[in-house]
Amino acid sequence: MAVLNRMDWYDLARTTNWSPTYVTEDELFPPLMSGAFGLPQDAWEKYDEPYKQTYPEYVKVQRDKDAGAYSVKAALERSRIFENADPGWKSVMKAHYGAIARGEYAAASAEARMMRFSKAPGMRNMSTLGCLDEIRHGQMQLYFPHEHVAKDRQMDWAFKAYDTNEWGMIAARHFFDDIMMTRDAISVSIMLTFSFETGFTNMQFLGLAADAAEAGDHTFANLISSIQTDESRHAQIGGPALKVLIENGQKAEAQKRVDIAVWGAWKLFSVLTGPIMDYYTPLEHRKQSFKEFMEEWIVAQFERALTDMGLDLPWYWDIFLKDIAETHHGMHMGSYFWRPTVWWNPAAGVSPDERAWLEEKYPGWNDTWGQCWDVIIDNVVDGNMAMAYPETLPYVCNMCQLPILGTPGKQWNVKDYPLEYNGRLYHFGSEVDRWCFQQEPERYAGHMSIVDRFLAGMIQPMDLGGALAYMNLAPGECGDDAHNYAWAEVYRAMRTAKKAG
Amino acid sequence: MALFPITSNFEGDFVLQLVAVDTENTMDEVAAAAAHHSVGRRVRARPGQILRVRRQGAAEFFPRTMKLGEAGLKPTETVEIIWEAPKH
Repeated sequence: MAVLNRMDWYDLARTTNWSPTYVTEDELFPPLMSGAFGLPQDAWEKYDEPYKQTYPEYVKVQRDKDAGAYSVKAALERSRIFENADPGWKSVMKAHYGAIARGEYAAASAEARMMRFSKAPGMRNMSTLGCLDEIRHGQMQLYFPHEHVAKDRQMDWAFKAYDTNEWGMIAARHFFDDIMMTRDAISVSIMLTFSFETGFTNMQFLGLAADAAEAGDHTFANLISSIQTDESRHAQIGGPALKVLIENGQKAEAQKRVDIAVWGAWKLFSVLTGPIMDYYTPLEHRKQSFKEFMEEWIVAQFERALTDMGLDLPWYWDIFLKDIAETHHGMHMGSYFWRPTVWWNPAAGVSPDERAWLEEKYPGWNDTWGQCWDVIIDNVVDGNMAMAYPETLPYVCNMCQLPILGTPGKQWNVKDYPLEYNGRLYHFGSEVDRWCFQQEPERYAGHMSIVDRFLAGMIQPMDLGGALAYMNLAPGECGDDAHNYAWAEVYRAMRTAKKAG
Repeated sequence: MALFPITSNFEGDFVLQLVAVDTENTMDEVAAAAAHHSVGRRVRARPGQILRVRRQGAAEFFPRTMKLGEAGLKPTETVEIIWEAPKH
């Protein structure tokens, strides 16, 4: 029997809107969930997805992808890559799995909201496949690390992290809850798929795949490349929704959602991906600096995507362009110095060769972050370890939930951006974080940061032990230096040579 | 006497930190409490210099002997801890 070509029937088959008669349109698509921006069904029927795929095509392609990724894993299971990997690379895997795997399941629920509540039939079709994608990503990124759980307790955080009050996970949940778990279908399409996935997952999944392949971890490289092929499809859900909104006079609201989501995504990547690329990945395996990746994958691509869509660059673009050379150095120093509070072992990444690389990629690094590292290195070389750990909490931002930081040393520019709202003093890490909060204060005002919780007496006893218990970090899971300070030997030798000379 | 949290923005350091002080503390004592979490950990000591305290963005320092409780700061408000070379 002859089969019609897909394009001969696709548009008709996915025209699944009808005129409800037993219920009102608002009952069928409750505005709170569908987020139709006051537009009727027929406006949304103009939604035209750029990537059209049918369910049989989807199943066939996904089956092939799974077969590829799982067979690489099976083939390399006995290769002892994990056992022989640089400890910095193991930390990359641990940070990635903990921060991402369960978030993928959460994303399946967000995709399901678009699938059920969007008034655009094309969006409902694409997000049906997107939902299946996210379930697949959650399953793979729990299954792949599971073989390492018996070898290393921190690997258990692939599953555990999302349920904890560990500070990085509070930050991750705050962001993902904001852009995908508590938004209507259309806002999810703008904030999750267009803003977050278009640019930032490219960064995590393509940039990191390149580093993984360089590091010889082909299982991980194949896994995340496989995931990225799904991302690049379902990331296109938001674009046509933006087009509909702009054509119907809703550009300002659309732009606001893009601006909020892009900033939040940037802050999360500055703590997760920045340290991984510029400090944890062994020097010889680094393809590009984090800043170079950002410029290629986020700045160039995103500027084009926004302009093509008829949107403006976010108002804070100049601040963002400056921050991509700075913020992640502070995020790295923070997660290193407060290393018992993370579920991986941060690699310091500050040997003389690595510092030379950092200075080359970020001119002025030695006079800024390098000045703080000089003190840390001296303490490690002297065995003065008590001073190489903190005795209090960093103050965290009430929007991104990450430490409020800036550039230290000779270009010291650290600053708080406070705001008093309903009698409570809030603190923000940047003008942009404060602006995000001000767009809808009641949405965020009730949330308590880890510092707010500490001050409210929710963390007992009020010391490091109490904080670690609150963050669910059991002994054997707390982070410490990835290389057990072996990198300090060269500084010790330099000091001995200097004395002898 | 009452425990009072401030946010320390210490000159040369990279991050704001929560510091517990007391309303009876003088500004020199507030500076010393903040220094405990920065100097020798990520900021080098500057022999011969003293530390002064000011409200974030203010041009003037609080007097060194002023008690924290008299400064009109709100709990968790950010203060800058700034190195000052001796005046000759």
